[in-house]
Amino acid sequence: MTRTTLAAFATAGVLLVLVPSTGHGQAYTAPRTKSGQPDLNGFWQALNTAHWNLEPHEAAAGPILQLGAAYAVPPGLGVVVDGPIPYKPDALAMRTTYAANALKEDGEIKCYLPGVPRMMYMPYPVQIVQSTDFILMMSEFATAQRTINMTTSDPPPAYTWMGWSNGRWDGDTLVIDSAGFMGSTIGALDPEGAIQVRFLDRAGNYHTDGLHVIERIRRTGPDHLQYEATIEDPNVYTRPWTIRMPLYRRVEPNMQLGEFKCEEFVSDLVYGKYQKGSGR
Amino acid sequence: MRMRGILAMAALATSAAAAAAQPSPAPRADAAQGTGAPAYRAPRTPDGYPDLQGFWTNLTYTPFERPRELAAKPFYTEQEAIDFFNRSIAGSQDQIVHYVNGDFGATPVQTGARPNLRTSLVIDPADGRIPPLTPEAQKRQQALLAADKARGPLAQTWRDDRGTLWCVFHDRAVPAVVAPYGSNFHIVQSKDWIVMTYEWNTERRLIALDGRPHARASAPTYAGDSRGHWEGDTLVVETKNFTPKRLFLGSPGTPPATAGSPGLTLVERFTRTADDTVVHTYTVTDPATWTRPWTVELPMHRIKGPMLEYACNENNQDGFAALKNARLEEEGKLAPLESMRRGDAKAAIAEHEEKGAAKVIGAQDKDEAK
Repeated sequence: MTRTTLAAFATAGVLLVLVPSTGHGQAYTAPRTKSGQPDLNGFWQALNTAHWNLEPHEAAAGPILQLGAAYAVPPGLGVVVDGPIPYKPDALAMRTTYAANALKEDGEIKCYLPGVPRMMYMPYPVQIVQSTDFILMMSEFATAQRTINMTTSDPPPAYTWMGWSNGRWDGDTLVIDSAGFMGSTIGALDPEGAIQVRFLDRAGNYHTDGLHVIERIRRTGPDHLQYEATIEDPNVYTRPWTIRMPLYRRVEPNMQLGEFKCEEFVSDLVYGKYQKGSGR
Repeated sequence: MRMRGILAMAALATSAAAAAAQPSPAPRADAAQGTGAPAYRAPRTPDGYPDLQGFWTNLTYTPFERPRELAAKPFYTEQEAIDFFNRSIAGSQDQIVHYVNGDFGATPVQTGARPNLRTSLVIDPADGRIPPLTPEAQKRQQALLAADKARGPLAQTWRDDRGTLWCVFHDRAVPAVVAPYGSNFHIVQSKDWIVMTYEWNTERRLIALDGRPHARASAPTYAGDSRGHWEGDTLVVETKNFTPKRLFLGSPGTPPATAGSPGLTLVERFTRTADDTVVHTYTVTDPATWTRPWTVELPMHRIKGPMLEYACNENNQDGFAALKNARLEEEGKLAPLESMRRGDAKAAIAEHEEKGAAKVIGAQDKDEAK
């Protein structure tokens, strides 16, 4: 709060700090890159339980008995601003089914690209490398990455796992419009292994290829971003809905993305029935 | 100078081949010597550094190692380079895996390759060939071959062919060895990082420019740990800490796999020599594997973006087929294609058709074209 106050004094020269409705330091002015844009470069990470469940949830046992407390679900107050998630009635029933089959349906388990917004709040760091024409957002998980096109508003040229993202600056806020998301595996040789929908978390919240995401990202301090995503998918939801959370800077001076090439860890699981011997 | 002259010749010499190529930039031969000290000065990023950003390809018909008959001839003449390029284009139309690459716009000439005056990508040693393996490395290779032989021709687990059918790491990405297609890069720069995303398997290289030391060797990676700095217009990148889980042309990477040796290190130089060309040279050193260091020079040509997602793991039909068919063959439920085993793709198509299988994509068009 002190920092917010100082920033407001310094930049606007006003005497009173306007406390915005979100209470997240609206008055902070982000430092600029040499080309004049707000500087989002760095390593960022969510510190919440959105990855387990976007909605409020109590702690629960994990899916594998033997993993005990280590893989149990930590509790959380949720990140949906205008929840509960407005599923259509049929779609809500399907969530229950998908959640029950999460070991088969959740792409995370097969090391599939996590998509958007899921990549942004997985428990892995996201590195942002910013140039004038492109902003790269790169997750440690599965080498997932997003290329934000800052100079075009072209529609998605194809369906992809990470979607197609066009960005623009709205003052200090990066606004990203993303669509063209793959909704399931296609043409799999192994129909039993195919996933039907894309999970947004481990609790079975999901989207289809009708997904359209509008994200708003801005600096709220030297080491914080506010991340907000409005999620539309007329196949599944009755209206757009929004999640919001801070992302924290990984401040370690030697911070860099590790290599988490998880295909290596899931191939025995995915292809095991066609392998000879134990496969290990 | 040299290049200008070639443009006119190229237009005549390659008109037939270029007609099949979409898009078809006028071929020309690139001298591309890193030592050529070109007068060209690269444009600058807003931070004041040479700007290497954009979409690039290193696809080429120039062989990695020089054919032995050209041992004393590191350069073609301009005409020879164009003739070689045209012969290669004609040859690549026949390139069949289980499809014809040309039908997917995937042959090098369709995706930006240009003639190169070099007769090989390896430029040092002088004969253009990777130096001999050390006795220790020969033993490792023999052990691998023996294990392959003991296993037989059918894959037992995904590990048996991870290099090409699996999506863990694409071995042609670092060091760059030029794939038959998809060998494209998107380079994005900030002040402190330069990111080179390689299309095949979305292999990305995160190169720190902020002067930090290398990460610990005890946390090795497939792509290695890269640190870069600017020397004039040239980006110099040093990479080490490669995981021993990969084998780069027989090098097992970093100690402890090569205890007592510094392991595999890579020193690269990227110099933009024209608006549409970056010359990439690299030197590979691993005293536990090769009797001396060796150097490669790869011209990278500008291509039109965007570069789309590869999503290898999510769509890996080949991996499934390799294991599934291997098991079916073992159970006598699938006859092996002898022609495919021999690498005779044309015979394999005929064999497929005899067996009543659907025509292999592209085969029909090829026949009608004759």
